[in-house]
Amino acid sequence: MIPPELDLFAAIFGVFATIFIYSFLWKENPLSRAVEHLFIGLAAVFTLAFMYDAALTQGVWGTARLYEGNLIWAIPILISLMYFFFFSKKYFYLYRYPVSIVAGIMAGMMITGMIQSNFLVQIQSTAQLPLVGAGVWEGWPPPGLDSIIIIIGIITALSFFFFTWEHTGILGVSTKIGRYFLMATFGAAYGGTVMARMSLFIGRLRFLYETSYSDWFWAWYLVPIAVLCVVGVALWQRSKPQAED
Amino acid sequence: MDWKTITQIDRRYLYIILFIFVSIPLLSPLNLPILVGEHAQAMYDTTETLSAGDIVVCSFDFGPATIPENRPQAKGFLFQARELGLRVVATAFWASGGPLGEDILRDVYGSDFPAIPEYGTDVVYLGYIPGNEVGMQTFGDDTWTAKGTDHYGTPMADIPLMQDTRAAEDLSLWCEITSGTPGEQQVIQFVQGRHGGPAALPLVVGSTAVSVPGMMPFYAAGQIVGILNGLSGAGEYESLLAGAYGYPTELLAPLDAQSVAHVIVILFIIAGNISYVLTRSSGGKEK
Repeated sequence: MIPPELDLFAAIFGVFATIFIYSFLWKENPLSRAVEHLFIGLAAVFTLAFMYDAALTQGVWGTARLYEGNLIWAIPILISLMYFFFFSKKYFYLYRYPVSIVAGIMAGMMITGMIQSNFLVQIQSTAQLPLVGAGVWEGWPPPGLDSIIIIIGIITALSFFFFTWEHTGILGVSTKIGRYFLMATFGAAYGGTVMARMSLFIGRLRFLYETSYSDWFWAWYLVPIAVLCVVGVALWQRSKPQAED
Repeated sequence: MDWKTITQIDRRYLYIILFIFVSIPLLSPLNLPILVGEHAQAMYDTTETLSAGDIVVCSFDFGPATIPENRPQAKGFLFQARELGLRVVATAFWASGGPLGEDILRDVYGSDFPAIPEYGTDVVYLGYIPGNEVGMQTFGDDTWTAKGTDHYGTPMADIPLMQDTRAAEDLSLWCEITSGTPGEQQVIQFVQGRHGGPAALPLVVGSTAVSVPGMMPFYAAGQIVGILNGLSGAGEYESLLAGAYGYPTELLAPLDAQSVAHVIVILFIIAGNISYVLTRSSGGKEK
């Protein structure tokens, strides 16, 4: 939450950062790189600070934690401190303990969780697709048609990844159909990506057009100035003598 | 310039065209109709079936990069939950979601949040819970262990709502506002799957549009019962809330802009393909 007195500063900074970042689409330049680095640096520092605070709250200061004498919370803290042996040549092997513990925990959790939710339930759901019964072939599109398309899609797409026999004959036809299903899936994913990127672009434009402060300042006042900064830097770069290869 | 050379247009002209055509509806909305899709309707309907006093989780698992999509989704859900009298346990499994979630709660419950009368009884904010998947699983198994205090340092034992929230079995609905991992799949694997499945803990998701195609198998299997698909899903949900509760709409102009942007992109794709086909049919080498 930004304090009200910093709203103006945030708006000014936001306008310049937005224009500088988008200037990358025209041409990579020092301003776009500077804001890009700033963003990455801020994100890294923010995450580090927030996680450090959360870890202390969770493991040390919280109710029934280390500060209140619950020594079991010292174990994860000590294990996590072993990560720092990464920087020691002599004791590097100790760094492997926290890595292996985390990998082991995640593997154990993932195996059971994923097999159940991403594998068994999906197979069960596919096996229960309706093909006959009341209402299955009523309306448009009928649910039964959906079921048939899904079944064909699953079988043919799976056959595409079947490499024991050469993809000729019936298997060749199946893999070709499967390839179209896969392409349709990738197309849907691409469409979603375009939609998401457009949403973010619209979000930035809304920030530029709608942000104001105390009825006398609107963010878009600064857009021409920011654009001029980008143009000025581009001209300055062009005027510099080019280094020979 | 003819159809065959159209692919050689400098891409920067396309950016300028896109910028102009997206700006027009933002500055002067076209008021195109919003058609509510199946997934947003399902999310709305699922939430409507709950009774006053039911406990729901709203998890803010996104970062600043997807605020335009995720923020209106979260805001809409919290608004509906408040109107229905649901008790909300808000939290975040992303570090960046912590402050963003608090900001959204202030939008819905008032700028004095958490200094509001209903804090602790009808709504509580736990803030960021570290540990990603492990944190999520612990939250579902034993909520008090996952986070000893709320976001403001109040011990769980001193919060009336948390007296009734000990594990996933106490929850009636999980609303996952997400743009990555941990997200809806981790809720399915580590919370829903361990605590009775979709029947016991229905899951609704507000997601960035990139991730939605990957969620469809989970929706078809009933593991997810409602989805808000990016900005358009948030707009559909908003229109439902506006009709039922007079929710103030904010997304009419952005949705107009998105529709225009999609038309422009489709036209670009058609033009590019025509050029490609003509170049090949005349024996030229496509670039």
